[in-house]
Amino acid sequence: MGKLFRTGVWILVACTGAFALAGVALRRGETLNSAWLVTAAVCTYLAAYRFYSAFIAAKVMALDDRRATPAERLRNGHDFEPTNKWIVFGHHFAAIAGPGPLVGPTLAAQFGYLPGALWIILGVVLGGAVQDFVVLFASVRRDGKSLGQMAREEIGRIGGGTALLTVLLIMIILLAVIGLVVVNALKGSPWGTFTIAATMPIAVFMGLYLRFWRPGRVLEVSLIGFALVVASIFAGEWVAHHPVFGSWFTLGGIALAIALIIYGYAASALPVWLLLAPRDYLSTFVKLGVVLLLGLGVLIVRPDLQMPALTQFTDGTGPIFAGKIFPFCFITIACGAISGFHALISSGTTPKLIARESHIRPVGFGSMLLESFVAMMALVAACALEPGVFFAVNSPAGIVGATPAAATATITGWGYPVTPEQMRDLARHVGEETLFYRTGGAPSLALGMAHIFSRIAGNDAVLRFWYHFAIMFEALFILTVIDAGTRVGRFMLQDFLGHIWKPLGRTSWMPSVLLTSGLIVAAWGYFLVQGVLDPLGGINSLWPLFGIANQLLAAVALCVATTILIKMHGAKYMWITVAPLAWLVTVTYSGAWQKIFSDAPRVGFLAQARLLEAGPQTAQTKQLIFNNRLDAAVCGLFIVLVTTILADSVRVWAGLLRGTREARNLEAPFVPTQLGAEELG
Amino acid sequence: MRRAWHGFWRTLVAILRELADERAYERHLRIHGRVPSGEEWRRFSEERLRQKYQRPRCC
Repeated sequence: MGKLFRTGVWILVACTGAFALAGVALRRGETLNSAWLVTAAVCTYLAAYRFYSAFIAAKVMALDDRRATPAERLRNGHDFEPTNKWIVFGHHFAAIAGPGPLVGPTLAAQFGYLPGALWIILGVVLGGAVQDFVVLFASVRRDGKSLGQMAREEIGRIGGGTALLTVLLIMIILLAVIGLVVVNALKGSPWGTFTIAATMPIAVFMGLYLRFWRPGRVLEVSLIGFALVVASIFAGEWVAHHPVFGSWFTLGGIALAIALIIYGYAASALPVWLLLAPRDYLSTFVKLGVVLLLGLGVLIVRPDLQMPALTQFTDGTGPIFAGKIFPFCFITIACGAISGFHALISSGTTPKLIARESHIRPVGFGSMLLESFVAMMALVAACALEPGVFFAVNSPAGIVGATPAAATATITGWGYPVTPEQMRDLARHVGEETLFYRTGGAPSLALGMAHIFSRIAGNDAVLRFWYHFAIMFEALFILTVIDAGTRVGRFMLQDFLGHIWKPLGRTSWMPSVLLTSGLIVAAWGYFLVQGVLDPLGGINSLWPLFGIANQLLAAVALCVATTILIKMHGAKYMWITVAPLAWLVTVTYSGAWQKIFSDAPRVGFLAQARLLEAGPQTAQTKQLIFNNRLDAAVCGLFIVLVTTILADSVRVWAGLLRGTREARNLEAPFVPTQLGAEELG
Repeated sequence: MRRAWHGFWRTLVAILRELADERAYERHLRIHGRVPSGEEWRRFSEERLRQKYQRPRCC
């Protein structure tokens, strides 16, 4: 009876999911309620978790709870510690959930809701969750080794070195592009700029509180910090309208970019406890709270999707970024479907906390499904806006025209009616001077979230609070990624330079700290300023570059995962990782090729440079020409790096499958667990 | 039902305390047989944060 009931439940889940997916895919010409998307996503996640992940866990990995994990064998109370699976789940989810799953789907909404929704659902089930799951498993079986170490040991020295260099380059592009998202959200917005500026003294106060007044009370001080940040949102409205203070915080793109660069440098060179760590604690809790709130909000409000299923921009003429639906939709949405960065987390802290092998499945596969759900919520929030408003907020002036009248006329001409008065009223409602030309996704996502939140708590009168709350939330944790990322980049560079001259590798030697911090900040700062000055909005060039880089890192992770699966089972189960790898290689090579060589100037970097060369030559155009060629070179370098690791992997796989290469098992030897159930509480 | 809520709440607080490094601090004190103090927290958090910010952050 029990088995029959369970079978019936799963048939019901599968049928409901298939029905909802069919509804999402086939309905045209009428407004779709977001409940369809949510149902399709949740049913697919449930079925994938129950059947696909169980198959991989049982047949491919043969997870064994009798085997002691590194958390138990190498237990030291610091990084190696057997931990309750739900705590590890929360820890892992907090680590993988960055700005990517919020911004990417918002930008990809220019194609309509359908391409993004299908990619988020199918990409995570067949690619992203599988990658995180297999890499976490591989790391747990190898004493918690990192992706770079596994690449070096499983594939070879070339693969390992290439993976490390790829990570450093990706981080530079990532920091620049998310910096640009913040700049575009805050330019000309004294309210938002004040709120974000206020988080810095708040973080320093939290740092001092933790260090000297109430040591160790992190939750307590985070609660105080949150109350202060909310107070700063209310104070921000007063500051914005103040005749003197308002002008102090009304900054243009370049001024904000410079402020961000100075902040990144200071945060990288200052003691970590003073600014970086307290901000990170605060941002983690705010992030989890808002993601939960957004999920609940979408479930309660169930807004109608105003955006059509497919827009005319699938042909590659999109205003936010240029390029056809294939491959650019799959590059734009990385986190939420598949993200190479997750492989670094899955082979970082998490494997050292896993108490039992069976926990790898909910942590590795399950938390990626939850991240995908967050991406779906972001897509819903963006698509719930009227398309005219969405495009008016996100389109750069270089595409739609430099005045509100020109911009609204262009967007209305595309078939998405919007008027200057409508945009002015909306800006007034959220307490902004204007909402035009805010390319980057953050303000439109904040608008979507504010509409959803204000329908639950309050009405249009509190829309301005929720809008600035959402902007604060996005900017807060993007800045945390920037300062932590700059610091990590500094360590990686010091590690590398230490091979050239030993003192440069010493992380406590101040001249080396200042030099390497400066080099990393200069690298991402250059791309950030390039994005701010770009007449096409910056996102058009930087976000695809970041997407390509991130997906190529996923390709590196899947190469390592495939090598391990071949060593375990020969060719039998290699399709599990080779299928997403083949898709990613196709998508990213095709995307990178187009970004370098396409004849369309808005798509191809070299074509854009040629177009600029044909026009009048000013200092600015010369700079733009150089920037486009630099972007083409960076894109080409990514391709060379990943081709290297891919070719090296294929060579290893061929040797393993032909039997000319020994399939050395690099797993830690089996040791029976001594862990009691009470130790997992 | 009450027990389920209680269990959920306990897990939620434990997750938050883990993210806040408070549980790691307790483990540190237990393993080294020390009592909480400002000096001990500074020693623990310096090592903890040094390790934490050497790892790449997710996008």
